[in-house]
Amino acid sequence: MTGAAATAKQVATYCYQCVAGPDLLTVRVEDGVALAVEPNFCAAAVHPGAGRVCVKAYGLVQKTYNPHRVLSPMKRTNAKKGRDEEPGFVPISWDEAFDLIAEKLNGIRASGLLDASGYPKVAASFGGGGTPQSYMGTFPAYLAAWGPVDMGFGSGQGVKCYHSEHLYGELWHRAFTVSPDTPSCRYIISLGSNTEASGGVVGVKRHADARIRGLKRVQVEPHLSVTGACSAEWVPIRPKTDAAFLYAVIHVLLHETPRASLDLAFLKGRTASPYLVGAHGYYLRDPASAKPLVWDRVLDRPVPYDTAGAEPALEGSFTAPAIERGADGERLGDGALAGTTAFSRLVAHMSSYTPEWAAEICDVPAATMRRVANEFIAQACVGQTVEIDGMVLPFRPVAITLGKTVNNGWGGYECCWARTVAVSLVGALEVPGGTLGTTVRLNRPMSDRIGSVTPGVDGFMAYPFNPTDREHWSPRPNIRNAYRTLVPLAANGPWSQALGPTHLAWMFLDGTPEGLPAVTFPEIWFVYRTNPAISFWDTAALAEKMSRFPFIVAFAYTRDETNHMADILLPECTDLEGLQLIRIGGTKYVEQFWDEEGFALRQPVVAARGETRDFTDIATELAQRTGLLESYNSAINRGAAGLPLKTERYDFSIDVAKPHSRDEIWDAACRAASAEVTDGAASDGLDWYRTHGFRTRPFTRTDWYLYPALARQGLRFELPYQERLYRIGQELGRRLHERGMTWWDSQLSEYQALPAWKDFPGLWEKAVVAMGARAQDFPFWLVTARSMQYAWGANVGIELIHEVAANVAGHGGVVINGDTAAGLGIAEGDLVEIRTPRRATRGRAVLRQGIRPDTLLMVGQFDHWATPYARDFDVPSMNALVPLSLELTDATGSGADLVRVGLARVGARR
Amino acid sequence: MTRWAMVADLRRCVGCQTCTAACKHANGTPPGVQWRRVLDMETGHYPDVRRAFVPVGCMHCDAPPCRDVCPSTATRKRADGIVTIDYDLCIGCSYCAVACPYQARHKTDRASFAYGGGPSPAEAARFDEGRLAVATKCTFCVDRIDAGLEKGLTPGIDPEATPACVTSCIAGALHFGDVEDPASNVSRLLAENRHFRMHEELGTGPGFYYLWD
Amino acid sequence: MDRIAPWLQTNWDHRAAGNFIGGGTGSGLAIFAAASELAGGNPPRAAYVLAALFIVAGLSLVWLEIGRPWRFLHVFFNPQTSWMTREALIAPPLLIALAAAAWHGGAALAAVAALLALAFVYCQARMLRGSMGIPAWREPLIVPLALATGLAEGAGVLLALAIVAGAAPSRFVLILALLSLVARWIAWAAYCRHLARRGAPTATRQALQAIDLQVLVLGTIAPIALIAAALGFADYAGPIALAAGVLGLAAGWLIKDTILTRAAFNQGFAVPHLARLGAVGSDSSTRPGWS
Repeated sequence: MTGAAATAKQVATYCYQCVAGPDLLTVRVEDGVALAVEPNFCAAAVHPGAGRVCVKAYGLVQKTYNPHRVLSPMKRTNAKKGRDEEPGFVPISWDEAFDLIAEKLNGIRASGLLDASGYPKVAASFGGGGTPQSYMGTFPAYLAAWGPVDMGFGSGQGVKCYHSEHLYGELWHRAFTVSPDTPSCRYIISLGSNTEASGGVVGVKRHADARIRGLKRVQVEPHLSVTGACSAEWVPIRPKTDAAFLYAVIHVLLHETPRASLDLAFLKGRTASPYLVGAHGYYLRDPASAKPLVWDRVLDRPVPYDTAGAEPALEGSFTAPAIERGADGERLGDGALAGTTAFSRLVAHMSSYTPEWAAEICDVPAATMRRVANEFIAQACVGQTVEIDGMVLPFRPVAITLGKTVNNGWGGYECCWARTVAVSLVGALEVPGGTLGTTVRLNRPMSDRIGSVTPGVDGFMAYPFNPTDREHWSPRPNIRNAYRTLVPLAANGPWSQALGPTHLAWMFLDGTPEGLPAVTFPEIWFVYRTNPAISFWDTAALAEKMSRFPFIVAFAYTRDETNHMADILLPECTDLEGLQLIRIGGTKYVEQFWDEEGFALRQPVVAARGETRDFTDIATELAQRTGLLESYNSAINRGAAGLPLKTERYDFSIDVAKPHSRDEIWDAACRAASAEVTDGAASDGLDWYRTHGFRTRPFTRTDWYLYPALARQGLRFELPYQERLYRIGQELGRRLHERGMTWWDSQLSEYQALPAWKDFPGLWEKAVVAMGARAQDFPFWLVTARSMQYAWGANVGIELIHEVAANVAGHGGVVINGDTAAGLGIAEGDLVEIRTPRRATRGRAVLRQGIRPDTLLMVGQFDHWATPYARDFDVPSMNALVPLSLELTDATGSGADLVRVGLARVGARR
Repeated sequence: MTRWAMVADLRRCVGCQTCTAACKHANGTPPGVQWRRVLDMETGHYPDVRRAFVPVGCMHCDAPPCRDVCPSTATRKRADGIVTIDYDLCIGCSYCAVACPYQARHKTDRASFAYGGGPSPAEAARFDEGRLAVATKCTFCVDRIDAGLEKGLTPGIDPEATPACVTSCIAGALHFGDVEDPASNVSRLLAENRHFRMHEELGTGPGFYYLWD
Repeated sequence: MDRIAPWLQTNWDHRAAGNFIGGGTGSGLAIFAAASELAGGNPPRAAYVLAALFIVAGLSLVWLEIGRPWRFLHVFFNPQTSWMTREALIAPPLLIALAAAAWHGGAALAAVAALLALAFVYCQARMLRGSMGIPAWREPLIVPLALATGLAEGAGVLLALAIVAGAAPSRFVLILALLSLVARWIAWAAYCRHLARRGAPTATRQALQAIDLQVLVLGTIAPIALIAAALGFADYAGPIALAAGVLGLAAGWLIKDTILTRAAFNQGFAVPHLARLGAVGSDSSTRPGWS
């Protein structure tokens, strides 16, 4: 080695490149050069992943020194935009860049923030499931200060993610994401959830520990993923038939298992199972209080559900003096009405969904499904309890988890519903060992999941539905993806825009359907840490639409397929160069639920390269140049920097009248964080966090579980019968039809109180026929799977990542079943063409046995043509093939990464 | 006597390549050279298929074939079991590379950098001309072990004194310690779990154990 | 290429093959010339020169292949266990002996040269045997094969030299050459069979199988027939012997080049017990690329 360094230090920071973070790390720096990433061993005591980071974080050194980085602001000189148009970016000064941008922004402020259609003239897209927020400094404060911003042009979030699970999960159990209580779970049925690839450091560690402890996981998915490799059993299910599998499991629990082996106490006391359902499908309600009725076995008469001392009947049909209220408050029944318990309705509903019925649909033996259901209930430990932090709670160590393409798109509702119902039958919902939600983004406060549990109607938790009543529903959406109009479940909080049907914004640019204001191009579009031209569907069409955006400001790390259409490139301080403080711990996405909560600092590991600037400084400058400094600073004080700088307990607020440096702002945030964590005892600022990296306090483990909060407030889980959703669907349908909007009708059919199985695979076949082709010419299912090495953070451009990912099968081509390939004369490495009726792509054949013969797999998202280094990979992506389709959009506005394709050999191995 | 060895728990490994990357960081290996990597192995016929992730690298054998064949004595074996290479003695004949049944040795003839062309600042700082055109391999991070022992730390327990791959593993699959100490972490793992060593039949006596049950 | 099932080693290329080819042929030639001399024959002095040239050519190729050629003196540091060191230690005295035999002649020098040559080719064979990472090389029967083919190749060169020198090869040399071809075939067949029985990478077996017929027909039967003819028809012994020599030589080079390049698949990786993750009663293993 060369001589010893003059200065050497270990700098602490965090990694939040993917939603499974944040995790903590250190970087070894010698003489001002970042050399190596290492865990943060000091964090081992508080971080469930022992202070370690995953492979992606090791790409950060190369990311910092990537020779392809954009290191100065750039301006486009070629007015024409398109894939084949060279932008002609030339370097400009920051001053000129700010001038150009401020000119546009001030022009908008002068002429009005909304355009003729009522949409915001300013749009902004950040990908990564919200993780860019942990890298964009105080930019959210600028957006808040600005006013209406359309954040609904998606890059995949909201539609390709766990979408249906986000929305239904938050409704049923404050579960934006769902996780097993892995540290104490014993049995998991996993339908496509790829934890060993996407579960992050904490997920991987916990599941590894669980495996050693003896946890059994059955992985049900069309290919043998990384997770399947680490599971006790692989069940190669046909794509999009997961709901049938789950329905069969529920059938076994309800029809082939003694009733007493279910958690009857949980069902009667903590769910709406005993509520009486009337002839029109709505609850029978007490005429006086309008509360849903249950049948009290002791008094042998109907009583409101919350009657103290009542012994509600779980099953049976009864006649009760009641009213039945339908949509728009209509009284559908009044008097002695016949009603059946929701549970009896469920039992009847599931009676035909036998394992034998499901076997043919799923291509899974009935015996397997039956055995899995029986193993599930055998492990459920119904009746057992456990003591946690002095609280006695039910112990139910079984869970069911769903992955992408299962919990989104058509069938996502059915799968999420079936999963939640199945676990509730054994009382394994939101209790130790069982199936948990881990964070909220739609319910508030976002930082306090337990605190978001408040009483709503009918004994359930409140939920901020977008209104569907005549008075409050609006056909004039606030943004282009029309989430408020179309998706009641998407609520109306800061995250709702990105959780609406974000592909509709793109689609409607070239044809807005009847009843909505014409979707317009935004006058200025900010893009950061996202690449929709790669990560969304029908990427060719998406890139073409982007090329028609009049003015795009891209915060750029390197050139890429999206900023190829930009007018201005602003070079950002990347992960190891910027400064920001974020929350860690508590309960957050995926499996990030800790026994600690607090804050962590991301700090400059090395001096910012070139002319890159910290996002916070960029935001402050923009605020000044657009006359928004005061509102910007106020937004920071209110909490746009991650936490409020002023509460009743402390005040570190910044002077709203003057601009502040990056360090001043974050020093204030650090002080507020210290005060919050120590309950006011400490107020250490930036220097303290620079040295220590993070600060935490204990987080009560009982707050992992929602059950205590519901029990404490006397609330019930809104299961199994979806009376409210049914009503909302009816109302939404009326509202849309009143305005002649019939193009959302198939989506309305999802609003069933007890969802039936539909031929979900058939929908994809129908899509082929609708394109004028024959389904049998496109006989393969094309699916995708997560690559831990690549996912998120622009890692495609990093050589180290490319090099180590090559060790994991599937990267680099199209995975095909070996026998299928042999039948088509395809050898390993041959060039194959994968096509739909409209699009085609090519790649190298990777032959494996761990995949269904009727299924093809493209790992990750590639097909780059502009991103340096990645554009030479020559690896295909399914995103080029999947259409932007209203027919394949479900009621929550999501779609699935799934498409029917044809396969043919077109060339020999290189 | 001390005998350092590594233990990989196949029930934990998820094939994520974090150890592969951490090793490259800790040791500054050039592009394409992976002293530690994780194999993605598949066996069986659809639908009865198994997929396994297997970390590999230099096994620091009891009877290392590489040491016996090395003409220059560049490859030696320490009393504590670690097989070392003195880069300045090595003539780059690659005899050790063909003698190793674990494919653990790497030789890079010319300087190469991640993005072609010249080195990044990080690569320039790590560049070591002495490691060109000679044999290189996993060293069990011997510098960390020796420095740690000097400070009174325990390799395998104290991260500072432990190989980078072990301390980086997010699944907790890799362990390091003294197999001659019956009370050590690795000895206990071997006593409590079923294990094997790779290519055991070749008689190399690898210092790398795989737990499987 | 997933680099899991055995893959073709790329550490040693045709230059290394050249060393074994040059070293074996040269040594064999020296031994045969000395044997002829000791039996009262009159082998051309050029045989010793040519032998030396073969050996030097081989060593030069290797010198070009090593990463640090100017450290070549380090090659002498491990006579205790390294057959490469031993090969290197024998080379200088061998070359001196060959030069002396070429210049001065005489049975004594010839014998010394022959013994050193035998030691040299033996070292080379043991070098291959010590390559634990390459199943085709570590096979114990590679030693007799390397010795036998070295002799056969040397015999081939000597037979060819005879006509160049303008004299017909002696019956003694012709019979020895014939015996060396038989010995080589036996060694080759035993080597292949032993490898197959002990297990080898499938690709290795395929590469060896691919040349088996050529080695038998063109490399053994044909030259043996030609030698028999040369023995029977002394008038045409020269040209016939030349043909036999070339075939015998070529087959030897084919064998060595094949073993050292196309059949040189490494050990690959194998897992005798896959992780048990709750599936009762199943214990799987995998050894991709072997049969």
